[in-house]
Amino acid sequence: MKVLDVIRDANSNLWRNKIRSFLTILAIFIGSFTIIMNSAINAGVNDFMDKQIANMGGDGYLEMMPTEAYESAMSLIGSTGPQEYTEDKDNTNASSYIKDEQVEQAKQIDGIKVFNVLPNSSADYVTSSRTDKRYRINLNLVVEGINFDMSNGVSPNTDENGAFEIAINEDLARALGYEDVSEIVNETVQIAVPSNLKCYTAIKRSECQTIVDVKVTGTQAPGILSMGGSRASLSLWKHINKLNYEGMPAETNRSYQATADVEPDKIEDVKKALEEIGLKAMSVDDEVGMFRTFFDAILIVFNIFGGIALVAASIGIINTLFMSVQERTREIGLDKALGMSNGKVFLSFSAEAIMLGFWGSVIGVAISIIIGTAVSGVAHETFLKDFPTFQLAIFEPLTMLAIVAMIMFIAFLAGTLPARKASKKNPIDALRYE
Amino acid sequence: MTNTLLSTHNLKKVYGKRDTVFEALKGIDIEIGAGESVAIIGKSGSGKSTLMHLLALLDKPTEGEIRLNGKNTSKLKKRKLNRLRNKEFGFVFQSFFMNANDSVLNNVILPLKIAGIGRRERKRRAMEALKIVELDDKFKNKAKDLSGGQKQRVCIARAIVNNPKVIFADEPTGNLDSATGDKIEKLLFDLNREKNITLIVVTHDEELAAKCKRQIRIADGTVVSDVKTKKGAKK
Repeated sequence: MKVLDVIRDANSNLWRNKIRSFLTILAIFIGSFTIIMNSAINAGVNDFMDKQIANMGGDGYLEMMPTEAYESAMSLIGSTGPQEYTEDKDNTNASSYIKDEQVEQAKQIDGIKVFNVLPNSSADYVTSSRTDKRYRINLNLVVEGINFDMSNGVSPNTDENGAFEIAINEDLARALGYEDVSEIVNETVQIAVPSNLKCYTAIKRSECQTIVDVKVTGTQAPGILSMGGSRASLSLWKHINKLNYEGMPAETNRSYQATADVEPDKIEDVKKALEEIGLKAMSVDDEVGMFRTFFDAILIVFNIFGGIALVAASIGIINTLFMSVQERTREIGLDKALGMSNGKVFLSFSAEAIMLGFWGSVIGVAISIIIGTAVSGVAHETFLKDFPTFQLAIFEPLTMLAIVAMIMFIAFLAGTLPARKASKKNPIDALRYE
Repeated sequence: MTNTLLSTHNLKKVYGKRDTVFEALKGIDIEIGAGESVAIIGKSGSGKSTLMHLLALLDKPTEGEIRLNGKNTSKLKKRKLNRLRNKEFGFVFQSFFMNANDSVLNNVILPLKIAGIGRRERKRRAMEALKIVELDDKFKNKAKDLSGGQKQRVCIARAIVNNPKVIFADEPTGNLDSATGDKIEKLLFDLNREKNITLIVVTHDEELAAKCKRQIRIADGTVVSDVKTKKGAKK
């Protein structure tokens, strides 16, 4: 008997008892749907994370702050326990700045290519010619060699003497009167920068502010890492810092943050070395990793549910096929009398089990894609509105194929028991069976 | 008898073990020539069905041997036995044994499908066989929609579709009324005469047995008589 005939017969045998087959397929479908959805969401989340990392650029990028500052920040959000007060330690957050000797030591660490101390810069608001309203702005510094998630235009320049440029957050662009955010590219916006010293004595805040014209080079899609911030060019950043600390003693102009460009394969060693000199460094992976761990934990739980559903479905397959073997005892006897080998009888029942697995999982894939796409659409209108690059569920053809194959294999395993029983039937007994 | 097709030597079959031992066949020696029509007659429990199962290579004897075309079949591998049954034998059973929900054509095709013959060729041959039993116009019907006589004709078509050397018929008319039964008998004997297919009929129906050229009577697992008649199914 040809294998193709075996498969064809197995498929048509399924429809002899439609309700029974349908219910078994339904059980397999529930298990496969859960697993497929999980894998699609997992792919979606990972894709999003990867995009975020790619946005942040190089594998060798480290952001760091003084360990004390990090720990007190963590203790404030409850991640670490209360900390004991000691006289010899700087106990205020404000004094947890990056010290000159730390910079010197850091520059000696093997593997660090570039070490930058970020000056502090803060602006009050941004406004544009299209609106009378003024909006608070959260600025980050652009980093050389790193691509941000630019939805329009390009990143600002990293030239120390370059033009004042920013990549503006999409939501901010909309608020500034650019409903179509792509229109803001190459426009000029006004940023108000305070001079801290003057502001102590100023009666009105506007008296101590300098308005800086800044060219928008692009728009930035919201993401986990940008968190609604906008990126300033290096020259703009430094200019703002200069304005902020105008007339103040140099020691007040201290930095709390630094970045480093590190040889990617030495990143763990560098992190350890930085820790020793009192700097807590985080790679992009560390930052994204926290989200990943969270999602992974959820997905493991759901995959366990899917697995349990598949085990139950497998028992359904065994049951269905045992009934089928019982019903078709005489047919099996006839097939064997007419020369069908035990192996082919086994194969034909296994094929039936595999077909059950095939239909259950293929329907699972189809329904998952339909539901996943629909939910993804709704999500982007609602709770994922701020994350346009986040595809909630990604259905990778190879993964889908692998899941279908896996479920077919599980179904085959479940089918071996009844198939074995069928293949062991004696043709004479089977023909006598009433 | 110049051309012996099937022969048995001291054929024994024992069922059960120890206390429940039952000797179904107690040493059978028969020879069946190619093209013969043989009736194996006996009451139920006489061992006639067991003999047929052994002759048809559906079961293995406890002792003794069966020779097909002079070759001892007990030494053959299972695969080879399956092939032999598929290629050389046709089966007609009292209670038909058809796949009721399948079409007439698919029922007839079954042995060819098992043999691994291509779709077009097996359809052609099945239609030929159906033409012989005059049911080629019903090839699309479901088997369960046929009358008893038609069902048995489909089974005969299935038995001859692979051009067998032997047809084993186990009470072929047992479930049919006499008029329909006669038609089936005529069909079987025509095949025996015209296609020179050896016909081995297992029955307790003396009338049917009398139509065969040879009657082997079985009782209590032994041959009690082996008679060749001249008239057979001439008419």
